[in-house]
Amino acid sequence: MIVFLLRRLFLLGTVLFGLSVFAFSLGYLFPGDPLQNFSGMRYIDSTLREQLILQYRLDQPYSAQYLAFLGRILQGDWGLSFASQQPLLKEIWQVLPATLELTAYALLLSFMLGVPLGILAAIKPEGTIGKSISGIALVGYSLPIFWWALLLIMFFSVTLGWLPSGGRLGVLYEVPTITGFMLLDILLSDVSYQHAALWDALRHLTLPTLVLATYPTTVMIRFVRDAMLDVWEQNYIKTAKAKGLNRVQVLYRHGLRNALLPVIRQIGLQFSALITLAMLTEVIFSWPGIGRWLIDSIYQRNFPAIQAGLMIISTLVITINMLTEILHTLFNPLARKY
Amino acid sequence: MAKFRLYLEENNRSPLAQLWREFARQHSALFGLVLFSSFLLLSLLAPLITPHDPYLQNDSLLLLPPSWSEQGLVQYPFGTDDLGRDLLSRMLKGSTYTFGLALLTVLASLLAGLALGALAGMSRGVKSSFFNHLLDLILTIPSLLLAIIIVAILGPGLENTAWAVILALLPQFVHGIRNAIAEQLKQDYVTAYRLDGANNWQVLTRLIIPNIWEKITVMSSMALSTAILDIAALGFLGLGAQAPTAEWGAMISDSLDIIYVAPVSVAVPGLLIFAAVLSVNLLGDGLKVAIQKRRES
Repeated sequence: MIVFLLRRLFLLGTVLFGLSVFAFSLGYLFPGDPLQNFSGMRYIDSTLREQLILQYRLDQPYSAQYLAFLGRILQGDWGLSFASQQPLLKEIWQVLPATLELTAYALLLSFMLGVPLGILAAIKPEGTIGKSISGIALVGYSLPIFWWALLLIMFFSVTLGWLPSGGRLGVLYEVPTITGFMLLDILLSDVSYQHAALWDALRHLTLPTLVLATYPTTVMIRFVRDAMLDVWEQNYIKTAKAKGLNRVQVLYRHGLRNALLPVIRQIGLQFSALITLAMLTEVIFSWPGIGRWLIDSIYQRNFPAIQAGLMIISTLVITINMLTEILHTLFNPLARKY
Repeated sequence: MAKFRLYLEENNRSPLAQLWREFARQHSALFGLVLFSSFLLLSLLAPLITPHDPYLQNDSLLLLPPSWSEQGLVQYPFGTDDLGRDLLSRMLKGSTYTFGLALLTVLASLLAGLALGALAGMSRGVKSSFFNHLLDLILTIPSLLLAIIIVAILGPGLENTAWAVILALLPQFVHGIRNAIAEQLKQDYVTAYRLDGANNWQVLTRLIIPNIWEKITVMSSMALSTAILDIAALGFLGLGAQAPTAEWGAMISDSLDIIYVAPVSVAVPGLLIFAAVLSVNLLGDGLKVAIQKRRES
């Protein structure tokens, strides 16, 4: 196990190294002056330019420049945003929690819906329930998320007026930022309108979470269903049935434990798709997260921000991927043959 | 009707015929095939069958309602948009961009993936394992993020979207094909063929490719649905196809500001994207089941 962990850590290091090289080269690949792209400063006069060239070692070969770049990244000096001239790292810490919050709830919802529905569909795959669940899953799997979001907004926000169509919290409420996670912040704050604000935040959260959860839920249903059907054919299930266990016992003791193992791994694999969808969801629901921030950066040709966004998001996805794989290996002795 | 089995029937049909038999038994898969073929035909014939020029702005017919409403005209079944362009023609034209371009990107990605996957799969040892794990992780860069970076470097446009989608799909193909090849290499018949003196190239072309093409087809169908959704999403965000181009995603974002006046102009392109992706998914699922059943029989 330790060897496995060490190998994984080594791999993580290699990938992060590759990622940083890629991010560094973007400074040259993006249009415009590399010095501006690295520092994020819009106007650089000649004295400052000389100073920055020395500091960034731009007069030296690429390898030295890369080392200087790496040093800056590790020290937390990620340059400024073209648009706001604020430090990028600070801006990212402001928008990242919103994305994480939304993604976490969507993932949670997809678990709570996807796993039971998948099991239900696997019990009688050719029955009415099984077929309709599979059908719904296929439809949800094929929906273009932005269009689906628009439909829901048109129905629930515009026609019925039940739910707000965008944002994280109504403008009536002001909650001090402590963690950046809206629900936590509201619970931690001691404002007089705490309950009202919580209710409002939940109402704002409903539609984006529903939209974002659609895809992972359907993937989960399909995956759990296939895994269950696969496990149901195994010999140990037949043995368990032959021993006289009833359906529920077999399902719980032998079926679920084996069928749900790969699901852990699936989270890691789906996470990058989830981030992509979260970016789209944020744009549609004006959710102030990192996805909307990145898309805005494209419109503003804010290259340092795109570079920083790449590093943060990829590191996040890779780390989560790694963690789920390690968890999977921890739980599943069969996967430990490294 | 109960089936009598008087004699042991031997099924000596070709693998392709067996596959088709299993495929045709599934109604949903057949429906997917019909839908897929019609989209394919549309994307090929779109320039010939559009009733009006999709880019012609007719200022006497702005925002014409669809023909099923009382003010509509039968010559314009879905009505016109805010610049007086015929919506039906634009939808038809859009199939070339969204569906046709997605097909092309998947093909290009498949070819590149086949070459790289074969290289990776036929090599062995540390190099191969390292390559595999590295790919596992490259897979994790979100496709939209990759597309954003490519668009940032090359600038927005349909062509750059295609490159972004090709690059985003590539790791999946390389990874999948590599694994499929590695699985085949373990088989006894490969060893036997090697003992006969076959070299790597012969093993690859005569044994492995014929044995993994089914998997490749399923992989491509999954990639195709991703490609359609990605192209449409990029178009919607304004990073892909630019304003006058009748790409379905871009059309939705174009018509967003007239969604109250002409909901059809948002609803129909979305429905088309949905139908296209659904057809591909139905086809892919059907193929997967058919392949599984054929292997079992």
